[in-house]
Amino acid sequence: MVMIEVTGLTYYYPLSHTPALKEINLQIEAGQFVAVIGANGAGKSTLCLVLSGLIPTLFNGRMLGNVTINSMNTRNHTPGEFAGRVGLVLQNPTNQISEMRYTVFEEVAFGLENLGVSPSEMPERIEHVLRLTGLIDLRDRSPFTLSGGQRQRLALASMLVLDPPVLVLDEPTAMLDPQGSREVFHIIQTLTTKNTTVVITEHNLEWIAQTADRVIALNKGSIVLDGNPEFVLTSPLLETFGIDYLRYTQAARESQIYGLWPSQTPLPVTLEQSVLGFNRVSSIKKGGG
Amino acid sequence: MTLGLYTAGDSWLHRLFPITKLIFSLSAIAIIFGGPNKWLSAILPGVISILILWSAGIAWRALKLIVQLLTPIAVILFIVHGFFGPANHQILMRLGPFVLGQEGLMYASLIVVRLVSTLASSLLLVTSTHPGSLIQALEQTGLSRKLVYLLGSPLLLLPQMARRIQTIRSAQQSRGLETQGNLLQRIKALFPLVAPLVFSALVDVEERSLALEVRGFSAPTPKTNLTEIPDTTKQQVLRWGMIVIAVCFLVFEFWRKRNGYD
Repeated sequence: MVMIEVTGLTYYYPLSHTPALKEINLQIEAGQFVAVIGANGAGKSTLCLVLSGLIPTLFNGRMLGNVTINSMNTRNHTPGEFAGRVGLVLQNPTNQISEMRYTVFEEVAFGLENLGVSPSEMPERIEHVLRLTGLIDLRDRSPFTLSGGQRQRLALASMLVLDPPVLVLDEPTAMLDPQGSREVFHIIQTLTTKNTTVVITEHNLEWIAQTADRVIALNKGSIVLDGNPEFVLTSPLLETFGIDYLRYTQAARESQIYGLWPSQTPLPVTLEQSVLGFNRVSSIKKGGG
Repeated sequence: MTLGLYTAGDSWLHRLFPITKLIFSLSAIAIIFGGPNKWLSAILPGVISILILWSAGIAWRALKLIVQLLTPIAVILFIVHGFFGPANHQILMRLGPFVLGQEGLMYASLIVVRLVSTLASSLLLVTSTHPGSLIQALEQTGLSRKLVYLLGSPLLLLPQMARRIQTIRSAQQSRGLETQGNLLQRIKALFPLVAPLVFSALVDVEERSLALEVRGFSAPTPKTNLTEIPDTTKQQVLRWGMIVIAVCFLVFEFWRKRNGYD
């Protein structure tokens, strides 16, 4: 089942003559885990806003083409109507706290209150996501006393409690330290088992290679590569779009020049593939010697 | 824990329904500026507010804030009205070409007392009420969530702005900006502090509005609340009592002035 369908999408921000997104055609299946990569200014964040239903209604730009999320055309529905159907997590964890509630528990409840969920139903749902995000012991703390990583987990919990079929994450670890990033990645990974459609923009290609079903590379607002992680992340074109190779891929590419990686063996994108490949080369060399 | 001006606590004042405190503050301000005996109307609400704050254990912080905020304003008012007040006749002192007049000093004193009282009665609300609780209480009165957010956003913005100013000041100081020193140095430091503050605030406002939207802030559904802030019949009576008293004072003062008793 197609969850997100984008046809002929071109988008101009107000007062801009250069499109932020250009001729995008895209279909995302329900439950698919899609990573969007690209250099700064490639259009990743704009695509996130489009896929959350916030563009075109909330922005005064010019949009050509159509975007359908869960059978709802974004032109015909307000962002309020998409709430609970699409979740969005942004880079800055502090800006995602409503500040209208006193504790972590109440903060997570805020979205449920907005959607009119019965107060008797709320505690169970909130406790479930607080456990999932490892925040259950912090339930009575003020959101302002949390660390950056904990706040981002709170932002995630605030979205997950709404149980949206689609979750869009715009560089959710960009402002976090390595420990905070690992915690957030761990939670997102659990979504792969829940049949949630996930679209994430992320610079950590190593994690993408291990987690994503599909990778889309953007360059100057256009989709330039689209396929499984092995196909996109080893593409010879990747560097021309300002995206660095993974260290495993780079090592194998360099090794190919010296005959240390067989040209018929696909380039690796994970540590395991890399170890397997180099072991194979080593055993061939030993056998030959 | 403090959040902006709010100081966490469990006093009777903290537990009071936020609207009761809001009505007290508004009634007090109405009496301060529109009450019949201008000195008594200016002093009494302030004294009552400070006594209430004292009973709740947060008077010291409120007084510190009042002194910090009003000292420069008071000094300017005393200088301007004391030396240059148009109603000055009774001369108290001569300082070279300048003359200190009694009428100007009294007028400045009245303004300062009114400001102290206004601030004290406002601090009674904001130092004992979490902005979220005030917003929730306003929602419970039946106001729309958007209107309530608009009314409560200045309270929400204060702590954000304070945090951001601190971050920007640290960042600029690490690049060699002098934020301490004489007046000229401080004025010079203002632009490198204010410009990033304004621009980052605009970016943050956009992100915050997006975050609110995806959490259903404008969803076309009836809203619910996880918890209700308790209100009591006694407090409802008290609120109406305060409104009636304030209106009576204003009407009485209006009648007095109209009939030439002032």
